[in-house]
Amino acid sequence: MDALVLDGSRGAECRDALAALHRALAEAGYTTEVIPLRERTIAPCRGCFGCWVKTAGECVIDDEGRQVARAIARCDLLVYLTPVTFGGVSFELKKVLDRMIPNISPFFARVRGETHHQRRYRKTPRVIGLGILSQPDREAERVFKTLVERNGLNLRTPCTAAAVVTPESDLGATASALVKAVA
Amino acid sequence: MTAEKRALLLVGSPRGIGHSTSDRLGSIVLDALKSRDVDTEKLHVHAAMDSPTALESALAAIGAADTVILSLPLYVDSFPAPVIAFLERIVQQRIGAGRARVFVIIQCGFPEKEQNATALAIAERFAAEAGWSWLGGVGLGAAEWQHKDVALALAPLAEAIANGTAVPQPVLRRAMPAWLYRFGGNVMWRLAARKHHATRSLRARPYDS
Ligand SMILES: Cc1cc2nc3c(=O)[nH]c(=O)nc-3n(C[C@H](O)[C@H](O)[C@H](O)COP(=O)(O)O)c2cc1C
Repeated sequence: MDALVLDGSRGAECRDALAALHRALAEAGYTTEVIPLRERTIAPCRGCFGCWVKTAGECVIDDEGRQVARAIARCDLLVYLTPVTFGGVSFELKKVLDRMIPNISPFFARVRGETHHQRRYRKTPRVIGLGILSQPDREAERVFKTLVERNGLNLRTPCTAAAVVTPESDLGATASALVKAVA
Repeated sequence: MTAEKRALLLVGSPRGIGHSTSDRLGSIVLDALKSRDVDTEKLHVHAAMDSPTALESALAAIGAADTVILSLPLYVDSFPAPVIAFLERIVQQRIGAGRARVFVIIQCGFPEKEQNATALAIAERFAAEAGWSWLGGVGLGAAEWQHKDVALALAPLAEAIANGTAVPQPVLRRAMPAWLYRFGGNVMWRLAARKHHATRSLRARPYDS
């Protein structure tokens, strides 16, 4: 089983959480690839929908965003690791999530009574969201968890799990619980 | 001397000014403010993030405005990435802190306007962290397909925005029934593919291992 960690940190703020995730994933038998997104040149989505109607399944921008989208399509477990930013994900992570829509189909589907898209691939990865906050913030935590769950609906993932940690949190326990939740 | 009111529209779509639904909707409110003698200006967030000088002048324009209207498309349940980076700069540099007021318009492709709720909550968190006062936000579904109704619903919001009071929720009916949207949308993708001479089947799986 392959896990892909998208590291959306700007510096070292997610370092300890990343180490804890690494251990929890290894214990659960995953082979883990980490992509430090700040080191990758990935242009923002242009909103052209070329990935749906021109070069179906692939973004029209030929940069490292394509390789990340490919890795996402092939992994079993996708992990968002990110500083919680206004309750959402960081710019570094979001630049990749916006470029992930080639991996879903343009065609619509009804999911839990709402409009979403059909899957493009037979298999879609499970999703874990681990958000880092410098201090406890109930509302930011609520928004972050909702966001990960809502993303799961759009990506048509079989299941999601999300948590937010602060410097006081037990990182090892949180990481293990997240990995277990999507087993 | 009477202080002039200044409102700034931030367009948060990569399609930019003149080409995006975000611009069209934000402009309805901006034009209504203009007709109330508010000084208005428009900025494209993605263009501001393209160069340090563009960013500096965009931040200066925000610093000079008392009201900011942020209009953006829903991207994966949140904001387009460059908008996040832009808003982080505003917070870091304390631009407009304790002074600016913000009204947010978020519109999504899907017909259910409720799908904007998470992004609206993110916008409200931004306002709190920036020290801006929150006038409110509106989420719209399938607004690309709604013109007259939306204009009639959004323009009256300018009164509350100009007065700096909480903006009431506009009354808007759904652009179309969700089933019709899904059916029509599926047809539309096929037509678009033909128009663009798509190089592969729309269901292609280029990343299958
Ligand atoms: C990368 C990307 C992600 C999107 N994510 C969503 C989404 O999560 N939910 C939704 O309803 N529409 C989504 N959309 C559709 C846009 O919100 C919609 O087309 C919008 O009207 C575009 O507005 P604009 O012309 O101002 O860019 C997405 C579009 C793109 C390009």
